[in-house]
Amino acid sequence: MSCVLSKPVGIVEKKLVPSEAIILQGLPDVGLVGLIAASHIISQLKLTEIAYVESDLLPPVVVLHEGFPHAPLRIFGNSELIVTISETAIPAKAIQPIMRALVDWGQSKKMRLMVSIGGMPVPDRQDIKDPQVFGAASTLSLLNTLSAKGVKILKEGYMVGPYALIMRYCAERNLPAIALLAQSFYNYPDPEAAAAALKELTKITELKVEVSKLLEKGEEIRLRARDVMKRTQRELTQMKKSQEYDLPLYV
Amino acid sequence: MSRKRRRSIFELMREYMEDFEAAAEEMAELAVAERPSWDVRSSCLEPLCNIFVTTDEVVVTADMPYTEPENVKVKAISEDRLEIGAKMRQKVRFDDFGITHREGEFSSFRCQVHVPVPVNMERMKVYFKRGILEIHLPRSRGYEIKVE
Repeated sequence: MSCVLSKPVGIVEKKLVPSEAIILQGLPDVGLVGLIAASHIISQLKLTEIAYVESDLLPPVVVLHEGFPHAPLRIFGNSELIVTISETAIPAKAIQPIMRALVDWGQSKKMRLMVSIGGMPVPDRQDIKDPQVFGAASTLSLLNTLSAKGVKILKEGYMVGPYALIMRYCAERNLPAIALLAQSFYNYPDPEAAAAALKELTKITELKVEVSKLLEKGEEIRLRARDVMKRTQRELTQMKKSQEYDLPLYV
Repeated sequence: MSRKRRRSIFELMREYMEDFEAAAEEMAELAVAERPSWDVRSSCLEPLCNIFVTTDEVVVTADMPYTEPENVKVKAISEDRLEIGAKMRQKVRFDDFGITHREGEFSSFRCQVHVPVPVNMERMKVYFKRGILEIHLPRSRGYEIKVE
């Protein structure tokens, strides 16, 4: 077991972590889009837990599965794919150090690509049948790749939250990262948006993910995810997520 | 005209007081928010709700999976409070979530929503779209002040 410490956050490795893998971030955010997508991938590809995030900045929460306690922020993977998932809302104050640690860790593992899946809140989401997905990238070449694959690019505006920081930290270090953001509800779990983002992900990477089961289980997911959504919403308010609605001022 | 202005200031103060009271009420609700999102005794789950206040209306939405539009009931219980209820298509048990240390089953959604600004409850319109309940409440109109 080894630990890459980027104080005050540590990543504790339980198993051999592959190098040059794709790292997917599925952290609680608007509509729990990333969390639902990551959870679906972990279950469909039968990924196993390879590491977890240790930090005193996280609330004193453990999650029980089959009677055993687990850290709420865990990392799953196989030989090619690594997926980070958090089963509890991440406190707004902990987001910066945790995202910095995740990017540090990805860099130390010579990640091939870091993908953040998330939601882009739209007030009239219930009127939208097929949510559109927008992309952002940390490098010009990846931005061109997204465009070439037909992904609509987020050109101007604000990004707030976990994936916003991941994109910034990766851009600063010229690390390869993309964000795929599906139009979503702000504070209702949105499996349809997660499915839309995953469909775009399969266009960009060689990952094969089937979303029909995710859509079939949509109502069940919405019911099960209510409490995590409620706690996530409080953190979204703290981090002023609504700034994503704002019109930017450029001088 | 000056009388009108004075009244409008009082009106403004009343609105401030209402805002303050609403904020205090929200704080009070937050203080009791650390309660479960379910109630075994009434077999009810609390739906996730949202309130948008626009210039013309207040839009209240609620996420209601396992619900059909014909089983949803919306009632104005006072000038500024709505009660939302809906019978679910199927019962849900703790066991369905893998929870074996609690007992109980849930067959409906129920919650009360505080409307933060004066509205005309009689002109309420209710829609149900893609599992989301959407309630439109036109905002009350006061008198118009002539621009000098």
